[in-house]
Amino acid sequence: MAPKLPPQHPLQHSSTVVADGQSHDAHSAHPKGVMRWLLTTNHKEIGSLYLIFSLIMFFIGGIFALVVRAELFQPGLQLVEPEFFNQMTTMHGLIMVFAAVMPAFTGLANWMIPLQIGAPDMALPRLNNFSFWLLPVAFTLLLSTLLMPGGGPNFGWTFYAPLSTTYAPPSTTFFILALHIAGISSILGAINIVATILNMRAPGMRMMDMPLFVWTWLITAFLLIAVMPVLAGLITMMLMDINFGTSFFDAAGGGDPVLFQHLFWFFGHPEVYIMILPAFGIVSAIIPTFARKPLFGYASMVYATAAIALLSFLVWAHHMFVVGLPLAAELFFMYSTMLIAVPTGVKVFNWVTTLFRGSISFESPMLFALAFVVLFTIGGFSGLMLAIAPADFQYHDTYFVVAHFHYVLVPGAIFAIMAGVYYWLPKWTGHYPNEKLAQCHFWCSIIGVNLTFFPMHFAGLAGMPRRIPDYALQFADFNMLSSIGAFFFGVSQLIFVLVVVLCVRGGKKAPAKAWEGAEDLEWSVPSPAPLHTFETPPVFNRTQSSD
Amino acid sequence: MWSVVKSVLAALIGVQSNVKRQQDFSSGKPLIFIVTAIVITLVFVLILVGVALVAAR
Amino acid sequence: MHLPWRWLLTITCAVSCSQAQANGWNMPVGVTDLSRDIYNLHMTIFWICVVIGLIVFGAMFYSLYRYRHAKGAKPANFHENTTVEVLWTAIPILILIGMAVPATATLKKMYDTSDADLDVMIIGQQWRWRYEYLGEDVAFNSNMSTPWEQIHGEEEHGEHYLLDVDEPLVLPINRKVRFLMTADDVIHSWWVPELAVKQDTIPGFINENWVKINEPGIYRGQCAELCGVNHGFMPVVVHAMEEEEFDSWLAERKEAQEQEAMGVDREWELDDLMARGESVYRAICSSCHQSEGQGALPAFPALANNQPMIDDFDWHLDVVINGVSGAAMPAFRSTLNPVELAAVVTYTRNAWGNDTGDVVQPALVAEKIAQ
Repeated sequence: MAPKLPPQHPLQHSSTVVADGQSHDAHSAHPKGVMRWLLTTNHKEIGSLYLIFSLIMFFIGGIFALVVRAELFQPGLQLVEPEFFNQMTTMHGLIMVFAAVMPAFTGLANWMIPLQIGAPDMALPRLNNFSFWLLPVAFTLLLSTLLMPGGGPNFGWTFYAPLSTTYAPPSTTFFILALHIAGISSILGAINIVATILNMRAPGMRMMDMPLFVWTWLITAFLLIAVMPVLAGLITMMLMDINFGTSFFDAAGGGDPVLFQHLFWFFGHPEVYIMILPAFGIVSAIIPTFARKPLFGYASMVYATAAIALLSFLVWAHHMFVVGLPLAAELFFMYSTMLIAVPTGVKVFNWVTTLFRGSISFESPMLFALAFVVLFTIGGFSGLMLAIAPADFQYHDTYFVVAHFHYVLVPGAIFAIMAGVYYWLPKWTGHYPNEKLAQCHFWCSIIGVNLTFFPMHFAGLAGMPRRIPDYALQFADFNMLSSIGAFFFGVSQLIFVLVVVLCVRGGKKAPAKAWEGAEDLEWSVPSPAPLHTFETPPVFNRTQSSD
Repeated sequence: MWSVVKSVLAALIGVQSNVKRQQDFSSGKPLIFIVTAIVITLVFVLILVGVALVAAR
Repeated sequence: MHLPWRWLLTITCAVSCSQAQANGWNMPVGVTDLSRDIYNLHMTIFWICVVIGLIVFGAMFYSLYRYRHAKGAKPANFHENTTVEVLWTAIPILILIGMAVPATATLKKMYDTSDADLDVMIIGQQWRWRYEYLGEDVAFNSNMSTPWEQIHGEEEHGEHYLLDVDEPLVLPINRKVRFLMTADDVIHSWWVPELAVKQDTIPGFINENWVKINEPGIYRGQCAELCGVNHGFMPVVVHAMEEEEFDSWLAERKEAQEQEAMGVDREWELDDLMARGESVYRAICSSCHQSEGQGALPAFPALANNQPMIDDFDWHLDVVINGVSGAAMPAFRSTLNPVELAAVVTYTRNAWGNDTGDVVQPALVAEKIAQ
């Protein structure tokens, strides 16, 4: 993937070149050109690398999704064969989860956590460089499987055995290796974030003074450290089954296909929260800023995040209600899953109450954050419905599930990332993003997202299973709407790229405190943030917790 | 000890008054809170398992 | 039970229970008592979500409108209220308990597979269903019968496009039928929305589920768990009959199956085997080896002009009966009967220019299976 990353992308260029000039004397050995990006240990540069990487992957994964939606535009097989269709659904899921959403949050963490806690850099800068550069390696390898004989992974992003072992294409071993590398990258990144947050806060900043983005990332990082090894163990067992004649998941050899699902979802459910907790943090930063009012229930937000993280280890089998669990297990997982609604609800109530009696303006970051609250809550409602085990026998593996998790991931995680990008772009580039274009991007996205995913609820309830390349005639209307929406949404994202590129090149100059209501430490450094910030620790003023 | 348990329970459902929180953060050692939280988590899981087993009968 | 959910349930039923069949927008009410229970749970939780949504989004949009900065709203500075926070934690917990009670009751009913009148074994295979009426000596395969020409757009789509099979599962109404479910290769999931039965079929496991159908009719569903390339082409069709009609159908099937078993000992002509073999090939083999035996590499080798296969008759027969371990080719010894096996081997050895002239007698196949 390295050649695909332009070494002097405009975003990196302008956000750092001025600062680079300033600090040049202090770092006269600073390499130039490609080597500078390969060897950088600066948290801002690595943050930009992560964000650009994830944007590229977002478009690659998006193209895969559009292949799927194009095939599903009408009943019948028109464009691709079922085999390739399965590869596309699988790759879309894998790329979006592991290469788009997760690196985007890590990128934001790299940029913002040191700035928000007043640290000069991440605690382990060389490790930071390594964890980023593992990613292009991992995903070049993963994407290359599409060109191998027998094709790429075709067993869904959940890669259930034995379809992914005994019956898998020969390229599966490469898929396992790619996932191992990506997993190592995540673990190293998470260790770095934990070390930074625990050790490098500005003097006087206690844990309960940290911005919520830092808190949510701290908890996310612990989740990553806890579950990524489970994934690694799981794919290693697959590797053994495929190449070394073991039978972990092969019933014919005394193995257990259901064990695979228990292990996968013990990783997979916390993984879902890994993709949403940092989003909570971003939204909890943006809403108070544009409501010009402190976040309601800061402490309960922290506790609720911790409670969600804790519960995420107790609910994995709600993905497995129809595999034939014993009754008591079904009930346990139903109850624990329903309980997650409580802390999640607390968060939504807190955001709404923060808005209440505020002084609200609607700049683009706020629009995305508000859309997040509404649409994520809709995804939460369908999640609550899915938690009801008897009803899940009807919902399971249908488009209702597809609608549910896209509602929490697209207008959930991805809208939060975009909100964060619009919110912090002035800090990164020194310019405000073009507000008209950003609003245009917002409205196109919100129409596209709902047009794509809302009809999927109906298709699923009416009986359309997921991951099928062709469908019965009664689902035709819903699918046509979804496909139109998907292409509209996909094309709208080009506006996002345009806004970012224009913002990097120029635009209205932003002051240090770019938004009137913004309070956190990052707004105390100049815009654009120089390459090196907080070389002497800042004085932390306890604004919120002192009263 | 009872106040520690109360604080942990309050944290579990996500409500805690600011005054109480200030007290906790200035007085107790974190280890006590962490251990209590782990114990209460285990108790919570066991209660949930118990409820599920009773309901399944 | 004077809980609020009862009340809500009554309203939702009045609003939307008017029809038993799928209306194309919502979950079908279905044709069993359980499917009705599940539908009611679904609608209850749906309306609870709608009400909560209206309150939360109502409060949100009111605030957004009322406290606009553009209108000069002055922000307040409060950020905590323990009473409110306790309230909005406690109320959802109560609502959830209210939901958990009926859900638990329904789930317990779903898990009660005791006292069944009829046991049917459902076996998922790539990519068909096999049904065995336990204790009745009746077993058959159920393949999608929608022609590939329709799927590739060379013909008009039929009325039940992708949801038609050659032999549906036939069940009696008003009797409790227990399903024992497993799979031969990968995980499949047997699902008929109107029966509210969805259960994974897992190799090495036997799952149980049950159904008691209230109304005769034809109910259609699909495989719900990704099971490989033809996952989308693995429909389920259930034909529910009056009880007497079912009994006579079962007796007829039994007799036909006995007739078939007697065919094993008889000497078969090439033409008869070819005709029979072609229909078996179309139903079973062509989804992988393709309609003209051209195969689909790398997983599915060509059969037409496959020299090793043509040269080695014993190996060919062995592969069809016992499968190839570690590859996609399954063992057909229990899926197909000796006549079908003999016919399809004869067919593949003589079709598409493979003209070996070999005639495989069912008796020989039966002998091989017995070994």
